[in-house]
Amino acid sequence: MQADAANAEARAINWLIRQRDPLFDDWDGFADWLAEDPEHNAIYDAVANLDRDLDALPATSKPSVVIVPEAPRRPSRRAWFGGAMAAALVGAISLSSLGLLGNDSRIETLAGEHRTIALADGSKIEINGASVIEIDKDRPRFARLESGEAMFHVVHRDSDPFVVETGDARIVDLGTAFNVVRRDRQTSVAVSEGIVLYNHDRDKVRLVAGKGIEARDGDRQPPVVQDVDVASIGGWRSGLLVYNGTPLAVVAEDLKRTAGMQVSIAPEASDLSFRGALIIDKNRNRTIADLAALSGTTAQRQGDGWILTR
Amino acid sequence: MAFQSKQSMTESPDRTDAAQGIEGVLLANRDRIVRFLEVRGAGDGAEDLFQDLWMRMTDRKTGPISDPLPYIMRAANNLMLDRYRSARQSELRDKAWGEASATQIPSTETSLISREQLTLVETAITATGERPARIFRRFRVDGQNQRDIASEMGVSLSTVEADLRKVYAALATIRRQFDAS
Repeated sequence: MQADAANAEARAINWLIRQRDPLFDDWDGFADWLAEDPEHNAIYDAVANLDRDLDALPATSKPSVVIVPEAPRRPSRRAWFGGAMAAALVGAISLSSLGLLGNDSRIETLAGEHRTIALADGSKIEINGASVIEIDKDRPRFARLESGEAMFHVVHRDSDPFVVETGDARIVDLGTAFNVVRRDRQTSVAVSEGIVLYNHDRDKVRLVAGKGIEARDGDRQPPVVQDVDVASIGGWRSGLLVYNGTPLAVVAEDLKRTAGMQVSIAPEASDLSFRGALIIDKNRNRTIADLAALSGTTAQRQGDGWILTR
Repeated sequence: MAFQSKQSMTESPDRTDAAQGIEGVLLANRDRIVRFLEVRGAGDGAEDLFQDLWMRMTDRKTGPISDPLPYIMRAANNLMLDRYRSARQSELRDKAWGEASATQIPSTETSLISREQLTLVETAITATGERPARIFRRFRVDGQNQRDIASEMGVSLSTVEADLRKVYAALATIRRQFDAS
């Protein structure tokens, strides 16, 4: 975006914010600004249109508790802010109808498939694609993330903590929501609410909201606690992946899991890192184009997927 | 002196008769309103839209309005936004369904945003940070004014303003990412 256009948009936003005050009365000043440049009105219309759509925001924001079998929720650009008629509503399906409460305790998702399971105690596990998770009907406060990624929303009970196992690590909640990624011999945990204990018997790591760790199997030292952006934890669930200096290979892995996209990174681009927000679009070419543009790479088709080169 | 003029204001006839007041203000400010409609995207159609606005404003039963001109200008601004949204909606409908269903009258009351898009918007708002997101929700969802938000959160008015700009800019950016083709 050109500096002028960005500036005009900032001015349009200023007008919009001021106009939301019922006592705003500088309509002549606003008209003068519109008259300065024919583009101003178009820019204002776009911003005001977006603002009007925000009327649909619910009074309190909560994650929606829906079970999404098969196709993941994916935002579409065409429908964005403009084609509600084309958007299908996602219905809620009870856990029992998916047969997950029976003996079937191993849940495996395909790449790009998202699934939410509700546990009897009110806890909820949102599972990203290409993931394997095991639950046990005899141990309702336990889950094992074999591989992949899941977001846990755990109802806390003092006397009966919820335990998540992954690799050889044990994660114990203290009333919380947290995201766990199990990659090849590596575990990442990020906490968005409450507190969790990571390997409390061995490493004694305590993670509060906004903190996370990256641990490799066989590390001698306990993992270092890092700051993480609470808002971006579990962003895969809504199709918005936020990165802050993340290696492209990790981004590619996330795209595979979250959207079933095959993205390989050419060797000369492997040391590049990515910063920015990626939207998982129905048209995957757009997502790739965004990734390429924001990481300074070039994307080309390769088989069923893409390759990013420098 | 001040007391006297205040008293004469409350007794002024166009304050007690709202409908007549609106018509009077519309007529008295006709050029100003037409000019506004012109630059607000109506162009040559500004005169016709002034008639539309006239119908809208005089049709409606309203209580007494303390300051009619800003009220009219706001209505004119909304009229233009409604037109923009109607045009945009039928354009999208045509794209999505072809000519067949384009006969339906586009309604500006219908929300143009789907549930899944809303989830994205909420994520984007949250992603701007805890304080900006909270300030934005108080402002835009709860309709709280900036001054009250500032005192409630214990921050300055300029901080509130800056946070609101930041969130709106983030939403505009995300939306551009979607619209780009």
